[in-house]
Amino acid sequence: MNALFAVILLAIIVVTFGALLLVVSGMLGPKRQPSPVKDMPYESGLPGQETKDTKVSVKFYLTAILFIIFDIEIVFMYPWAVTYLDSVKAGTGGYLLGAMGIFIALFVIGLIWEIKSKALEWD
Amino acid sequence: MLELADYTFYFLALVTLVGGIAVITAQNPIYSALWLALTMVSVAGVFVSLDAWFVAGVQLIVYAGAVMVLFVMVIMLFDLRRETNAFSRGMVSGFLKLASAGIFLGLIGGSIYNSAETVFAPPPAELEKTADATKALANTLFTKYIFSFEVIGVLLLVIAIGAVTLSRVQGGTHAKHD
Amino acid sequence: MGVDAFEIVINVVKLLVIFLMMIQAVPILVWVERRGSAFIQNRFGPNRVGPLGLLQLLADAVKFLFKEEFLPRKAVRFLYYAAPVMALVPGALALAAIPLGPPIEVSAFELFGQRWGPYVFKLQGYDIGVGIVFILGVSSLGAYGLLMAGWGSASKYSLLGALRASAQMISYELALGLSLVGILLVYGTFNFYEIIAQQQGPLSFSWFGREVVGPWWLPNWGVFYNPVGMILFAASTFAEANRLPFDLPEAEGELVAGFHTEYGGFKMLMFYIGEYGHMIVASSLLAIFYFGGYGIPGLPVEVLEAKIAAGTSLGPTGVSVLTSVVSHLALLVKLGLFLWIFIWVRWTLPRFRYDQLMDLGWKSMLPWALANVVVTAVWLLLANSK
Repeated sequence: MNALFAVILLAIIVVTFGALLLVVSGMLGPKRQPSPVKDMPYESGLPGQETKDTKVSVKFYLTAILFIIFDIEIVFMYPWAVTYLDSVKAGTGGYLLGAMGIFIALFVIGLIWEIKSKALEWD
Repeated sequence: MLELADYTFYFLALVTLVGGIAVITAQNPIYSALWLALTMVSVAGVFVSLDAWFVAGVQLIVYAGAVMVLFVMVIMLFDLRRETNAFSRGMVSGFLKLASAGIFLGLIGGSIYNSAETVFAPPPAELEKTADATKALANTLFTKYIFSFEVIGVLLLVIAIGAVTLSRVQGGTHAKHD
Repeated sequence: MGVDAFEIVINVVKLLVIFLMMIQAVPILVWVERRGSAFIQNRFGPNRVGPLGLLQLLADAVKFLFKEEFLPRKAVRFLYYAAPVMALVPGALALAAIPLGPPIEVSAFELFGQRWGPYVFKLQGYDIGVGIVFILGVSSLGAYGLLMAGWGSASKYSLLGALRASAQMISYELALGLSLVGILLVYGTFNFYEIIAQQQGPLSFSWFGREVVGPWWLPNWGVFYNPVGMILFAASTFAEANRLPFDLPEAEGELVAGFHTEYGGFKMLMFYIGEYGHMIVASSLLAIFYFGGYGIPGLPVEVLEAKIAAGTSLGPTGVSVLTSVVSHLALLVKLGLFLWIFIWVRWTLPRFRYDQLMDLGWKSMLPWALANVVVTAVWLLLANSK
């Protein structure tokens, strides 16, 4: 049995298990008795505020974008890290370190710029 | 006789296609983003069925994250009261959609046409083991394509700076409402 | 056909057992957490139901099952119900890729007039060559459950909690991913079995062309090669699992309960299962990368197997099974220790403020992780040169 099939199978098992739990707990529990007050989104005594009125800071979006960029750079380091020891032993480690060194330098420049430009400040 | 691996592939292909179609037909942008995530995950599965484990992992890490950015952007940018009408249906945008789809199709077709021999050739024998495949990938990346690799570093730096600069622009959808 | 079906059945059973192990661990962990918290805070904790209060969680589960369904007004029905199910998936998929012990070698035998085997039975749901990359990829799906919950509940606390949670998760995922580069440099492989095999035996490394071997009791663990990486990895897993001191997403004082504000009953329990699944995966990764996995210090797996073979009169299969069980127990001990540290830290460190949290992730841990990578690479280059 190949691993891919096992992964898909496990995902299906987990989702089925979760869905089954939802259904069972829905059937066992008392009948749903909706009321306008009960169904309001939680608020500590005041009239509830709807999601649509919630303003979301642009910082979340910026964080997500910066995450993607740095994540791609980190992903490039994985194949490098795995071959590094081999090439050190084969005598080409210096070249590989230099190749990644330039890349990491660019990474560091980016990071310093983000910090200096206060893009990562939360207020 | 179909083997288990074939069934797995057809299942993933089906999920990918259905997901891809649902991305563009879904009315609600949130669902659209979620379908895109499903499509990305099943494309990762297709990579696995080609024994490209590392590329599959990267597909999961990078694209799943990228879709999340979309998700957050959807939450932020769209007027949620009219979320179902968020996709404009005007003539200009329709033309733009068609044009970009055409350009993309041309890109895909061109790249397949130009690399048909390598795409349809059986994989080299020495790449059969997973660990070796990743190491072979690294060896090619850091020798033959080293220049492109460093250029990617510069490109990512430019994107980072651009994203920060854009997010600072006052006005637009995020003008101050005081 | 018979052999094929047999193999599939075995694998399905294995997947089910590993998934149920994760589910089963949750009541025990919750009990340990509640009793442990009580112990640290000098109170009793749940001690009424069953001996030492052990059955408390069973009672809670029954109570959860019989709760009334609740759907907030304006909630997106599908997302609201799908989110807790989605929260289960990453933990379960990641846990099944982790080796829980050395593979059991079953020698060929005859049963039902048919020849079976020899088999290699791995204590693992599926063996994925690039295990680390797979686990990182699957865990990055974890943010979807949170965002679906936050959006689906249509409550501002849920939405803000979910956004905070995902921003925090992705920020610390960078430090997490980078701290692993250090350990990959040292071991040069993605394969868990090879990583663990390299940590067997006494501490030994090459130092400017000389081979240094430590005393027999000092294990060849990753933590000695990459201590900074270990600290960064441990700290970022705390953030990934949304545990204190990084539990900003559910900061009660500001956000009620974060992304699961509108959830109750079994749906909330499912979020807890996901969170504890995250903790279990993180603890086992910590054990595998930095603390020798299922190896016992001073007693490598091969030596253990030879000792068992010499000390008992079992066949080769029996020896292999016993070795696996003993090694698995060693892993469980390490796991238990790390999980206890997760709980311990909760009552030791105060919560960060949100800007401090993001500052720590981007301005301290990321640069430190980068420095760790560079220093490890240079050190490997120098130490291995002649």
